[in-house]
Amino acid sequence: MNDRPDARNLLQTARNVFIAEILPALPASSRYTALMIANAMAIAQREIAAGDAPLAAECERLGTLLSEPAAAPAGEALRGVLAGYNRRLAGEIRAGRFDGKERAALLEHLRRTTGEKLAVSNPKMLK
Amino acid sequence: MNLNEPSTRQRLAEFVARAAGARSVAIVALERMSGGAVQENWALDVEVDGEARGWVLRTDAQATVRESVTRAQEFAVLKAVHAADVLAPEPLYLCEDPAVSGRTFFIMQRLPGVTAGHKITRDTALVPDPRRLAREVAANLARLHRIEPPHAGLGFLKTMLARDCIAHYRRYLDTLSHPYPVLEWGLRWCELNVPQREETTFIHRDYRTGNYLVHEGHLAGILDWEFSAFGNPLEDVAWICVRYWRFARPDLVVGGIAGVDDFVPEYERVSGRSVAPHDLNYWKVMGNLRWAIVALQQLERHLSGPEPLLEQALTGHVVGEIEQEILALTETETP
Repeated sequence: MNDRPDARNLLQTARNVFIAEILPALPASSRYTALMIANAMAIAQREIAAGDAPLAAECERLGTLLSEPAAAPAGEALRGVLAGYNRRLAGEIRAGRFDGKERAALLEHLRRTTGEKLAVSNPKMLK
Repeated sequence: MNLNEPSTRQRLAEFVARAAGARSVAIVALERMSGGAVQENWALDVEVDGEARGWVLRTDAQATVRESVTRAQEFAVLKAVHAADVLAPEPLYLCEDPAVSGRTFFIMQRLPGVTAGHKITRDTALVPDPRRLAREVAANLARLHRIEPPHAGLGFLKTMLARDCIAHYRRYLDTLSHPYPVLEWGLRWCELNVPQREETTFIHRDYRTGNYLVHEGHLAGILDWEFSAFGNPLEDVAWICVRYWRFARPDLVVGGIAGVDDFVPEYERVSGRSVAPHDLNYWKVMGNLRWAIVALQQLERHLSGPEPLLEQALTGHVVGEIEQEILALTETETP
């Protein structure tokens, strides 16, 4: 086991100090870059906090949508399966598989996946 | 590139003298202007036979982008739009002789005004009547759409109608290792809803807040013509309505300065073309797809370029917002 605090706590603590102490002391010309750094740290923090749960949920939805329901694997295997599923989904959308009656199920999946992505990338945009 | 190297400055002054037919040309100031990763703009103050002139010298930066036209072609575009009474900097002299500065450049008139979107959408002293500005932006767009193919000076422009856009964006997605199912959905939707008939005019393809100059509350000119093409004029009408150009005013659909009602009717009046809400929605979807592709191209510069780039890295995390917009715009209409 690693020593405490964990990555999430370290990132959060470093970001808070950066915003409270470093940002106000910077010249105006560096402010935009500093805000980008704070934003990048916040995204990384949220990605760590979310963990693999949204990816596993996406993977299970994709299995159902692509007519091969299965339990999502864990760890690196999950990322591999997810990438493969998404490539297939992209190809089948282009080929027109979801033009008709499966369209509603596709859109529901895409909305949820986009929501899960935004929860990490930019939660302010969540509708 | 340093144009201020004394021998380059000297050759530049000689070029201007030849091009302007002047007896004497003195370069008073030559300074790199901000912005422009792809092109460099230099503020050039000269005295031509003793008379002061304020110009911009525009040349390629190190990085060249596949999408954009060459400087010589951009010069031809400015000539054509200027002749059509479109508000844009007047193009003056084109130099294709590499002996002068090492690269092709052109000189154009320097227009006064502000381009910064966060100022134009927020500062009421700068824009006292934003709805009037929106009508000027609309009328100017209608004038530029009067240029039609075939056009003697613009034979080099590619034609990008709806199907061309779809094919082009798909080809780009196919070069990526990472799949984007929402973008594929948006492209499929555009394919299923493709317009039966399309008009083809000259189009700017980046006509939006941030790319026009505002001076004393009025539209002074449109900049950044490097993406222009022949295509569906509605692409330009919808592009300025895409979310990302609203800056401080996300509630104002047209580039953060006005609502659709202050823009589309004036465009219709001056162009004689009607813009159906259905068509505007179609081209908003296409505009969002295009913006997503641009964001992904930026991201690739971070992932595959010689050095990591923070701004471009963060652009990769904008894709989710664009996808949310594409889903919202495509869910209401059934093909």
